[in-house]
Amino acid sequence: MLAVLSVELRKLNRSSAAVLALAGPSLIAFLTFFIVLHARRGTSWDMALQNATGTWAIFLLPMSVTALTALVAQMEHGPRAWDHLRSLPVPRWRIYAAKAICVVALIVAMTGLNLLLAWGSVSAVGAVKPAAAATGALDLSRMLLLNAKVVAAATLLIAIQLWTALRFSNFVPALALGIGGTFFSVMAASAKAGVFIPWLMPINMMAKDAWRVETALALGGGLGLIALVAVVAHLARRDVL
Amino acid sequence: MPAALETEGLTRRFGARLAVDDVSMTVPERAVYGFLGRNGAGKTTTLKMALGLLRPTAGLVRVCGLDVARDRIGAARKVGALLEAHGFYVNLTGRENLVLTGTLLGLPATEIDRVLEVVEMRADAGRRVGGYSLGMRQRLGLARAMLGAPPVLVLDEPTNGLDPDGIADMRGFLKSLPERTGATVLLSSHLLGEIEQIATHVGVVNDGRLVLEGELARLKADLEPQIVLRTGDDRRAADLLAGHDRSPVATETGLVVALRAGEDADQATAALNRTLVQAGLAVFAIGARDRSLEDIYRRVAVSDQRQLKVEAA
Repeated sequence: MLAVLSVELRKLNRSSAAVLALAGPSLIAFLTFFIVLHARRGTSWDMALQNATGTWAIFLLPMSVTALTALVAQMEHGPRAWDHLRSLPVPRWRIYAAKAICVVALIVAMTGLNLLLAWGSVSAVGAVKPAAAATGALDLSRMLLLNAKVVAAATLLIAIQLWTALRFSNFVPALALGIGGTFFSVMAASAKAGVFIPWLMPINMMAKDAWRVETALALGGGLGLIALVAVVAHLARRDVL
Repeated sequence: MPAALETEGLTRRFGARLAVDDVSMTVPERAVYGFLGRNGAGKTTTLKMALGLLRPTAGLVRVCGLDVARDRIGAARKVGALLEAHGFYVNLTGRENLVLTGTLLGLPATEIDRVLEVVEMRADAGRRVGGYSLGMRQRLGLARAMLGAPPVLVLDEPTNGLDPDGIADMRGFLKSLPERTGATVLLSSHLLGEIEQIATHVGVVNDGRLVLEGELARLKADLEPQIVLRTGDDRRAADLLAGHDRSPVATETGLVVALRAGEDADQATAALNRTLVQAGLAVFAIGARDRSLEDIYRRVAVSDQRQLKVEAA
């Protein structure tokens, strides 16, 4: 498995994955800087970082998953590399599992980077304009837990996007699904039914009602993990024509 | 001779269409087996089943005695493949592409240098594949197929898209492979002339069915000999020979007369010549005609098509 993972990482390393990984969190950090800088009343650390996490969960996380899964899949669809990969004496599930692991790992890294850059932005505001510096103490463990839940709840969304991107050689179905899902995520963020919609599960980690957090986490994380295993099993078994 | 690759009743159906129909073929060890057929005849589908890329609807494939359906990974260890879609990462160099496959196969770095040496690509291995010509990609594909020195090489249309020089290089390379590496080569093509110069064995597939298989030299020898002749008046010569119980056929190169089974070509040539000269016809050229793979192919593939049309009517 390590050999397959190292091959996947080398391929990603020479693709635009790094640019993609930086793009989303950087945009939020940029936005956070100006929001905190121009706030009429002082912004608390918790509020600033929670807003950054919310923006990530509702919009840029699903968009990044869409783009990242499309990139990982098109690395093979583009040069029609599947026949070569699938003809090798390597269990096929490992090839797909390596892709799933890389996508999840990158989303974890991007979520962490989002938090880190947002912290950097808020700190920069304090240095540039002390009067606008964030107030209160930073509860880092709470923030880390919240972000971990956001990623866990995004597992089902990752599984769906990954399957679509790998199943269809044309990137349009995966992009259309991702854009559509993100659109609903933004437009119906507070809808009660949102806990049952994969693209809305990450943002529901910030809901006030405990049942919404628990339901979205169980579905997004628990069902998501099962879905991810099913995705790998299905793709490994099917004939690629 | 034991089989490096064999199929038994191999069948693949795509919906209502039967792409491969009950194909039983045998590729002997150390052979260069030319797998012939028109585009869409079922060659690539058969090769994909041999590589475990497609599941057969019925039948089985064995590679070095290993059933591909039961032990795909064991069988895949015995095969290197060059497929029509190369699947190279164009943003990586030739060497990096080979290293990726080498890593998946668990091979040492020295193996990359070895295969690059075999295909004479060491000098260009550091360049990005995106800048390679089609011929270079084909050679890199061959290098990748040879990683780990598998005993069987499956090559799908290896001369596709190559220029005449590239085809000649590839021909020489493939012809010498069994001797140089001990490998068995199964290559598909629709270029009869190329296969004729490379292959020791051929299999002809037509509309999904294997209509002919065997050692090329033997298949050629089994064809009845033919005499080709050019005269001052081919029409009169044809009429004259028809009167002598012959059935000459006019072709671009002259009249072609098929001999009867067991008839000696030299004696028949002398008799035909005598007949024509005695009738006052000027004979410009006369002699036995070498039988080609195309003759064999036309005989089986075209007659098979005709038979199908008759059955359909």
